[in-house]
Amino acid sequence: MVEILWTIGVILLTVVGGVFTLLGALGLHRFKDPYVRLQASSLGSTTAPFTYFLLALLLAEDWQSRLRVLIILLFFLVSSPTTTHIIGRYAWKSEGKIGR
Amino acid sequence: MVLLISEGCLAVGILIAILRVLRGPRGSDRLAALSVISSFVLALLVLFGVYDGRVLYLDVALVYDIFGFLGILAISRIIGEKQKG
Repeated sequence: MVEILWTIGVILLTVVGGVFTLLGALGLHRFKDPYVRLQASSLGSTTAPFTYFLLALLLAEDWQSRLRVLIILLFFLVSSPTTTHIIGRYAWKSEGKIGR
Repeated sequence: MVLLISEGCLAVGILIAILRVLRGPRGSDRLAALSVISSFVLALLVLFGVYDGRVLYLDVALVYDIFGFLGILAISRIIGEKQKG
């Protein structure tokens, strides 16, 4: 039972991570406005590594690597939206209202 | 198998984002693409470290995370000051 749940979880996380990776990278090219591009890329670049960290938590074999992945995940949850906010503030300050 | 698919997806995503860095008309586009590349490389490092069973890659990934964040912060600050005057 646990084995089946583990396999389903691994396959689901792989598919979701791949879809968000490719869509997040494609979102950098599809949209016209820099702010919309920033939104698409930040969604992709936050969700895809988060999903892959969960996948790495499932696949890890010993506790020391699990704990390190957990620390990286917690720091990434703080740092990735902050990076997006910094880029958005830079775009607003230096370039202003573009594409409106 | 699973790790191979994930790493392939991440590599394709990094290549697409590099195209945006080369093409991007403004600084903010390039910065957004750089942050995408940084987080994808972080995920690649973590997956490879777990696959190889080495803890060293995960330490490198943690430091890479911190320095990617600081790098984006410094780049945006430096470009902003340069454009102001």
